[in-house]
This record gives sequence, structure tokens and C-alpha cells, in this order.
Amino acid sequence: MKRLPVNLLIGAALVLLVIGAAALSLIWTPHDYTEMNIRGKFGPPSELHWLGTDQLGRDVVSQLMAAARNSMAVALAAVLIGGSIGTALGLLASAIGGWVEDLVMRIADIGFAFPALLFAIMLAAVFGPSLTNAILAISFINIPVFARVARASANQIWTREYVTAAQAAGLTRAAISRDHILPNIAAPIIVQATIEFAVAILAEAALSYLGLGAQPPAPSWGRMLSEAQTLMYLAPQLAIYPGLCIVTAVLGFGLLGDGLRDVTDPRLVRER
Amino acid sequence: MFDLTNLSVHFGPATALREASLTIRPGDRLGIVGESGSGKSMLALCLMGMAPEAATLSGTLTIDGRDMADATERDWQALRARRVAMIFQEPMAALNPLSRVGDTVMDPLRLHLGLSKQAARARALDLFAEVGIPDPEARLRQFPHELSGGQRQRVLIALALACDPDLLIADEPTTALDANVALRITDLLVRLSAERNMALLFISHDLAAVARATSDIAVMYGGDIVERGPTRAVLDSPAHPYTRGLLGARPSATALPRDAKGKRARLPTIPGTVPGMADLPKGCRFAGRCPVELPRCASERPAVTKPGPDRSAICHVPSKEALA
Amino acid sequence: MAYFLFRRTLGFVLTLLAVSVVVFAVMNILPGDPALTILGLDATEDALAALREQLGLNDPLLSRYFSWIGNALTGDFGISHSFRVPVSELIAERLPMTLSLAVAGMIFTVILALIMGIGAAANHRKAGDWGVMFLSQLGIAVPAFWLSMLLVLLFAVKLRWLPPGGFPGWSDPIAAMRALILPTVALGLVQSSVLARVTRSSALEVMRQDFIRTARATGFSRQRVLWRHVLPNALVPIVTIVGMQFAALVTGTIVIENVFYLPGLGRLIFQSIANRDLPTVQALVMLFAAIVVTANFIVDLLYVVIDPRLKARA
Repeated sequence: MKRLPVNLLIGAALVLLVIGAAALSLIWTPHDYTEMNIRGKFGPPSELHWLGTDQLGRDVVSQLMAAARNSMAVALAAVLIGGSIGTALGLLASAIGGWVEDLVMRIADIGFAFPALLFAIMLAAVFGPSLTNAILAISFINIPVFARVARASANQIWTREYVTAAQAAGLTRAAISRDHILPNIAAPIIVQATIEFAVAILAEAALSYLGLGAQPPAPSWGRMLSEAQTLMYLAPQLAIYPGLCIVTAVLGFGLLGDGLRDVTDPRLVRER
Repeated sequence: MFDLTNLSVHFGPATALREASLTIRPGDRLGIVGESGSGKSMLALCLMGMAPEAATLSGTLTIDGRDMADATERDWQALRARRVAMIFQEPMAALNPLSRVGDTVMDPLRLHLGLSKQAARARALDLFAEVGIPDPEARLRQFPHELSGGQRQRVLIALALACDPDLLIADEPTTALDANVALRITDLLVRLSAERNMALLFISHDLAAVARATSDIAVMYGGDIVERGPTRAVLDSPAHPYTRGLLGARPSATALPRDAKGKRARLPTIPGTVPGMADLPKGCRFAGRCPVELPRCASERPAVTKPGPDRSAICHVPSKEALA
Repeated sequence: MAYFLFRRTLGFVLTLLAVSVVVFAVMNILPGDPALTILGLDATEDALAALREQLGLNDPLLSRYFSWIGNALTGDFGISHSFRVPVSELIAERLPMTLSLAVAGMIFTVILALIMGIGAAANHRKAGDWGVMFLSQLGIAVPAFWLSMLLVLLFAVKLRWLPPGGFPGWSDPIAAMRALILPTVALGLVQSSVLARVTRSSALEVMRQDFIRTARATGFSRQRVLWRHVLPNALVPIVTIVGMQFAALVTGTIVIENVFYLPGLGRLIFQSIANRDLPTVQALVMLFAAIVVTANFIVDLLYVVIDPRLKARA
């Protein structure tokens, strides 16, 4: 048994920490994160409020935990939506080949011209800013990413002998894609999904910070930071904690993704 | 003059080179043969001061009487190209693909010899002509990918000659080339060595090339120099069982005998494979694969025997014919 | 070569067209009635009709698209609904801010990344290497807007060395440059983390190659080998990433301008969203997407300049 890479272990630990906090917030937080207490505003860390309170006297720890839940939910939704559509497109392109493959990949290229931010801006201009728009925008940019990975991996599998055998046995390309291709490209797709999870967490934070994502009073690390920015002279500590949470989550999923790639892809034994 | 005395190279517990002793004088043409992993390239890198950083060296290496034990990287930089130069196996990979070959050759001329651009260019043209590159004017402006394998190797030779070194190390210079191109490169190296009174260290696993290029030979196995002597004498009557094995394993120009079914007999090979650096036997490195092995061979290092004039072999049971 | 240029240019133009179709579709078909979106639900029917006429909404969709694209090519992006001036004037006024920020960020990114990446590769498996790898791993995970806030906290709030935001204009170049320092660092640090890693692995790849051994055997110093032989050969993957990063930097300015209150296109986009100024948003999104596509196109062309082997194939 080979030793697991360090980045995988650290990544997994950080991810567990964040997911654990998010899951816990579903059933318990130290306080109600919306509960205000004007007299107790800007409270210092205490036994009651571990990281103190914000400008409205709300408990910071409870807000951070609830925001973790929001962050995980948005990233999960965006990666699931974008990942399944993208993977399906990639499988389709690889199964049919020819001009269909070219067309799908051209469209994917065009998708790369739109960072999530630009797409979110368009949606916000048309429908007004909302968390749903943010999820849609992040999902959208994931489609070409997954389409590319799925197609590249699938094209390799299509040349394998067992696939040729399945073709000879008269299986349709759809059936082969489902039974033989998809299970065999699962590893790179999962690796990509883990990395895109980190990207989605960053994107959600940025969009919410800019006011294009979570709207008050919905909890979000990005939104907490945008509120903290106006209070930087008064309460600089409020600008620290949510950022640390974002870094922890992004670092965790990023390291986990890198580690998974190292484990699952023996060709890429990279120098580090 | 290059002088190695009991030079050893270790990587942690593994030994890449064990107590190698050699002297190279101006105009010498010395061949080193052995399989990959025998330590022949490590020996060459030590002469260039380019042993890997992870290696620990012991023994002495003197260049013109100067002990190189405490030489810094800067000292070595001053020696490379001017005193000792080296050419490598893969002429394509050994040239910077983004640099015109003229610029590559002019670089050391300008940097080490301080020549002006025009002077360096003129000198590069002379060098190209000397190593037999046709139409040197046009070649100067070309990129490596535009040249043939033989021409690239000639460019590398020109580069190595640029600062007029005393010793040219050629590490498998012909391995990657076609047979007839390899012959011409070999002959070129011999001619240059003679014309310039430049020592040549010709490293190869190709016995035919070594026989053609060199006057003396060192056979290496598992980090040891197992046999030394004049090329002709060693190849005619090898003393060490490993040398005999190498000669037996060589595809000869004469056709191999056919068996009853008309198939060619297989090439004789040395049984077994070269063990890794860390797994070598403590005594004679060849123990375990040797056809005439004695019980003590694996544990006890043989003394040096003198099978003939100017010859030496490290073996408990050197060939009797050679000794005779 | 000519065929290569032709193919790439054609692909570039087609991509731009496709991007414009997407932008037009999202901004004009999704809302249903853009006039209603702009004026809101309590607008009078007369006002709506007047705006529809002004925006040309009564024309068929296809002719609206072609007139938008045709006008855009001549530099006419229509009239900003909220500022009541041509959108092109707004852009011309604010583009220099955004471009100077993006270019400064790019220069900062490349210089820092090359030094860090090449330095790490030269010290492979030593403390310097580990340090760069650790910092860059961290840098990739830090949101640019949070980094901006930390920089402001330290250098503007605590130390009071630099202004926390705003832009005084170029009439006072010293003040202008001081105002750009923190935004540039915030914009570039994250990207340079990515680029430093690419530079390092690319340089390590090159350093394993035989011609590096040749160069060392020719007696060149490590420094000279590094900059004369390793760097040029490591550039191809670096340039790819730089092209993608310029795109990321340009869109990154949208965020950074909003953190530091810099009057560039990024601020303008957010003002326009708040004002429901669809023509302006549409023009700006198209402009940003066009910059991204153009950056990638230029990278494609740069490969050929860098690597003579590709010229033969192209």
C-alpha cells in the first residue's frame, strides 16, 4: 500500500472541517445567526460569543457556520448542474465524433470567453441580483470545463479493446457510453469536480461580496466581508474571519483535488 | 593531465563508482566500455565537476596537479570548455531548440574567450569547417531541428572544441546515429584528437566503435573498472570474465551459425541483468553472473592482477590465456 | 504560415461573433421586454412605448442584432439610458483606468512569478522551493477582494502609508501611482501564485533536458544557463497561462475597482446594473468578453514567435 500524498490528507482534513461545520449548522449553532442585539454590537470574543459579535450584535461564529452551509450548497449545486451537463456533452461529442464533436468543442471554447462574473453580471442586469443567478452563472462556466475533460478522457477509452468488443457485439454507442465509458472516466471527472468545487466557493464569495449573490439576510462569507469593509476602521476583526473561512475551504478542496489526481492518475507522478 | 586516484561516488548506501584510478595524458585516446549503470557516465561527470548534488565523492581527482577536492562550482566553470569539454548521446536533445546553432557555438567564444561578435562568427565558421559541416555560412543561421542527426553531433563537437580543450569526453557519441554516420563521427573524433594533441575519452557500449577510436580501454562493471589495458590486447585476449562476456555478446560482422531449422542462433548474452547500484555484491561486482565464480568472489574483493604489459584486471580467476 | 494566420484569424472572428450572439441573446431575449426591465413595473404605457421606439425594440430581433453589431463595429454602442450620453463616451472616459490597472497588474504578476518560479526551480527541493510552493498554494486560495481588504487594513488603516481607495486622476502622477499600488498588488498576487507554479514546473521540465547539461558542460554559470537557456524554453506554457491570466486580470479589475472605488469600467458596470441600464451593461460585457477572446488569439500567435519549430509546422 502506497502512502497517501500529504496534500490529499491535509485537503481531506480541511474539507471535513468545513463540511462538518456546515452540517452541524443545520441542527445547531451557538446562537441564532439572525438574532440581533444592538447593545451587544462589536462584542469582543467571550465565552458566550467565541469570536465576538458584529455591528448588529449577531454572533460571528453562528454566522460563519451558516455561511459555510450556504457556500457548500451553492458549490454543490453549481458543480452538479454544470458537471452533469458538461459531462453529458463531452460523452456525446466523443461518442458521435465528426462535426458534432467539433461543434460541441467550439461551443465549449466560446464558453471559456465568459468568466462567471460576466455571466452573473448579465443575469443580474436582466433579472436583478439573486443567489439563484449566481448559481446559474457558476454552473454555466462549469459546462465547458467538464465537457473538455469528459471528451478527452472518453476519447481515450473509446480506443480500448473492450469497447471495440462491445461495438462488435452490437451495443449502441449510447449503451457503450453509459456502461463502459462513463464508469471509466469517473476518476478524472471526480478530480475535476473537486477542483471546480474550490473554484465555485471562490466565485460564490466574490459574487456575494459584489452583491450579485446571496442577498441579506442570507448568510454568506462574501457578503459578511462586504459588510465588514465599510466598518474596517471600527472593527477590523470582522474582515478577518470570513476570509479565513474562504481560504480554508478553497485550500481544502484544491489540495484534495490535487491529491486525488496524484492517486488516481499514475501517469502524472509530478515533481513537487 | 587528468589524474584520478581511488575515486568513489556514493548515493547514500549505494555505490555508483568504486575506487576508480585513471590517468589521462595529452593526446591519449582512452575508451570506456560497459553496460548502462556501470558507472562510465558518472566517471565522465566527475571529470567535468558535474556529479549530481546528491552524490558524495571520495578519493582524489587532480587536474594538472591541482587537487579538485575543494574546487567550487566557479572553479569548475573556469575549467569547463577551456580544459575539458563533453559531448553527449542525443544530439537533438543536447542542443537548445530555440537557439540558432551559430549562436550556440558563438556563445562560449564570446563569453569565455572575450571575442567580438565578428571574431566569434569567423571562429565558429572555422570550427564548422573543421568538423566537416558543409556550407557553414548557411548552417550558422539554422535551428537544430533543421539539421540531420550527424550534423547536430558535428555542431556539438564544434561547440566542445570552441575553447580548445585538453580533454574531450564523448559520452556515447554515436549511439543515436545511423551506422555509417556513426563511423564518420568516430573517425572525426580520432582525427581531431591527433591533430590537436587533445586527449579523447570515448565512452560507449559499442565495442566496435571503441576499438576503432581508442588506443587504450577501460572496462567497467557495477561501478568498478574491472579491466584496463591497450585496446588491441584487451579485446584480443580479455582477462576478466565480464570482458569475455561482453565480447561474446557482441553482434559480429560474420553471420551467426544457423541451427538445423535454418534459424539463426541467438546472440550469446551474459546471463542475468545488471543489479541496481544498491544491490551489488560486496566483493567482485560481477559475482552472481560470472561463469567462473568462486565461493569467495561475492564477499572478497579481488586484488589487481597484471595479465600483460600495461594491463590490469580485478579478478580472482583471470583468464589463463591472457596471463600467458 | 499564411494559411495558419488565416485559419487563426478566421477562428478569432467567428468566436467574437458567437460571443456577441450569446451576449445579445441573454440581454435581449431573456428579459422578455427590455423596456419594462429598464423602467420597472410602474412605468406608464407611453413611456414604455417611447423607450421601445428609442431602443428599436419594434424591429425584428435579427435586424436589431445586426444593427447593434454593425454600430458597435463603428464604435457606436448606443445611448446610455441612465447617463444619457453615448455609451462609447462612457467607455472612452473609463477605459484608461481599467487598462492601466490591468497592465500594471500583469507586469507585477509576470515579474513576481518569473522570479519566484525560476528561483524555486533553481533551488529545487530546498527551502526556497518549499517556501514558494507553500505561498503560491495559499495565494491561489485567497480571494482577491479579501486580499485587497487585508492590504487596506495593513497599509492604509494601520500604517497609513497608502490611500485606502479612490483615484485622484493622472494630473498628479505621484498620487495616481500611489493610489494604484494596492489595487495592483491585490490584482496580481493571486495570479502570480498560479503563474509561479507554472513557471516552476515548466522550468524544472526544461532543466531535466540534455541541452541544459550541454550548456553547463560549456562552462556557463548557473545564472546564465537559467536565463539564457531554461527561461526561453520554459516560456511556451508560461505564455499560454499569461494569456489566460490577462483575461482573468481584466475581469478581475471589475472586482478590484469595486473594492478600491476606482472609476473604471468595472465600477461603471455595477452602476449600470443598479440603474438597470441594459444597453451599457450589454456593451461592457461584450467589451470584456472581446478582450478575453483577443488575449487568447494573441497568445496563439505568440507561440509561433517564441518557438521556431512551430513556424515550420504552421
